[in-house]
Amino acid sequence: MHKLNDDEELYLEQIALKIRKNVVRMIKAGKAGHLGGALSAADIIAALYFKIMKVNPQNPGWRKRDRFVLSAGHKCLALYAVLAEMGFFNESILDTYGSLGSKLPGHPDMYKLPGIETNTGALGHGLSIAGGMAIGLKMDGLDSKVYVLMGDGELAEGSNWEAAAASSHYKLDNLLVFVDRNTLQISGRTTEVMNYEPLYKRWEAFGWCVREINGHDLKQIVENGTDIPFENRKPSVIIANTVKSKGLSFAEDRVNYHYWKATPEEFQLADQDLNELGRRIGI
Amino acid sequence: MSESKDPRKTFGEALVEVGEKYSNVIALSADSSSGSGLAPFKEKFPSRHLEFGIMEQGVIGFASGLATTGKIPFVVAIAPFVTARPFEMFRNDLGYMRQNVKVVGRCAGLTYSTLGATHQSLDDIAIIRTIPGVVIINPGDPVEIKKAVHSAAEHKGPIYMRIGSPAMPILYNEDYRFEFGKGVVMKEGNDVTIIGTGTVLSKAFDAAEILEKDGIHASLINMHTIKPIDHDLLIKAAKETRKIVTVEEHYLHGGLGSAVAEVLALEYPAPLKMIGVDDQFGGNGPYEKLLGLYGLQAGQIAETVKEFIR
Ligand SMILES: Cc1ncc(C[n+]2csc(CCOP(=O)(O)OP(=O)(O)O)c2C)c(N)n1
Ligand SMILES: [Mg+2]
Repeated sequence: MHKLNDDEELYLEQIALKIRKNVVRMIKAGKAGHLGGALSAADIIAALYFKIMKVNPQNPGWRKRDRFVLSAGHKCLALYAVLAEMGFFNESILDTYGSLGSKLPGHPDMYKLPGIETNTGALGHGLSIAGGMAIGLKMDGLDSKVYVLMGDGELAEGSNWEAAAASSHYKLDNLLVFVDRNTLQISGRTTEVMNYEPLYKRWEAFGWCVREINGHDLKQIVENGTDIPFENRKPSVIIANTVKSKGLSFAEDRVNYHYWKATPEEFQLADQDLNELGRRIGI
Repeated sequence: MSESKDPRKTFGEALVEVGEKYSNVIALSADSSSGSGLAPFKEKFPSRHLEFGIMEQGVIGFASGLATTGKIPFVVAIAPFVTARPFEMFRNDLGYMRQNVKVVGRCAGLTYSTLGATHQSLDDIAIIRTIPGVVIINPGDPVEIKKAVHSAAEHKGPIYMRIGSPAMPILYNEDYRFEFGKGVVMKEGNDVTIIGTGTVLSKAFDAAEILEKDGIHASLINMHTIKPIDHDLLIKAAKETRKIVTVEEHYLHGGLGSAVAEVLALEYPAPLKMIGVDDQFGGNGPYEKLLGLYGLQAGQIAETVKEFIR
């Protein structure tokens, strides 16, 4: 388990802010994009890549790397931003979002850019793939871990629960899921659209060891994210309570910013908010 | 016809052979192991046999993830349950992700003749054929099954292999050379070309013999690879005999007949007759009788050919 000191925390905050800025930058370039879920997950993704996981931008296929599976593929703007920040590819690629043949499709393609592990976009696929990776890594005697990021609305896909059962059956204690519980999906509040609460109990009943955290508290993310397995011979899941569109005051916790076709005024507001945050944390 | 062999048993034996050859070959079952011929593999390589229970969407995803770590997963279960049921997983996790996974649909076609349409698979080739990059193999005899399993393990990329379950007549001897994407001319003739595939190849074979006795010289092709289809051989056949008849235990829509029609219509239009199941759910009853209901018995095929070339 790793406890963040204040300097490390500030550094991760700065990374998360850069991710948020680059998410907005891509949406500017492409005129529209999945905003809310990228921003609610930005802190988790920053912490994963800059503190929790072993990955090597110089050697993306490194056999002993940890794997990241973005099951909620529509959050990929945050993934593109973090991979660019880590140096997997040149940041200028971000400005191609939305253009013909861009290496940044609206859902990630592992053959277009280094560092992307899976092709996701259709919800409810990532956990099975991650489970297969986790079994394969164990078979090879590697201690690499597999990290998965899922949406809370996504959990209504039955295929996830197939994978949840199989992961506990195979005692995949090298597997950690983050559920980005921003309580919103396309059509409204997750509990109203299709209620999957109590999440904690459901995961527990499927044989997982569950923790609940504030998904914007980098100390909590890193402390728990580096502490797996939470229990030996069990997969781990973190229910991360988040705010959709976190960081943009006009969009936070509002359902209509899931997919953002921004007006020029909104872009100005977004820049204001993110620059203001930047001044506070020194970038 | 001489000897016959159980295709599932044959598949299972072949998988043990490739398991011995390649330590990264693993088998995935969806509560389908013994019925898929996996018992010997499980016995020999218990740690490389993974059971997933009745979880056909999940098992395809797990296979994809396993393949990313360098394993060669063979997923075997009842054909509709590894094709129609998890289609999106097949398309995205195996096709789009280009993973080295071999999916084997067994008891395909009308095999589950008495169990009815839920268990029959007359559309598996049609739907998997839409996935870019997936090779579709439909072996026509036990020797071919065995060779195809070896080739599948050696080929890098997703494969769908289709096998039946009733005993299959042996048409080839052991030195038969199998090559993906290359149809096999089993008999030469100038009057018509019959193209058979998979479970009913032997019926097409018998039909060609019946025709021969009646003075009709049919050419017979075994089209074991439906995708990519052997383009050159099709054009050659159309040039040589003009008329072509396809024979398959599958819907007319989207299967071998369609694949042949696509090539001929665009490149060398030739009269085509397709024998298979029309646009309807499969019936129920004894297997051989059901084949007869759809005109797939050798004598019926021969009659259809005669009428077609008249
Ligand atoms: C199988 C599938 N169905 C529908 C969609 C369309 N879709 C994209 S995002 C989304 C809502 C996701 O909500 P949630 O999982 O809560 O993600 P977040 O709130 O983090 O954006 C939907 C329905 C999809 N991508 N995949
Ligand atoms: Mg949500």
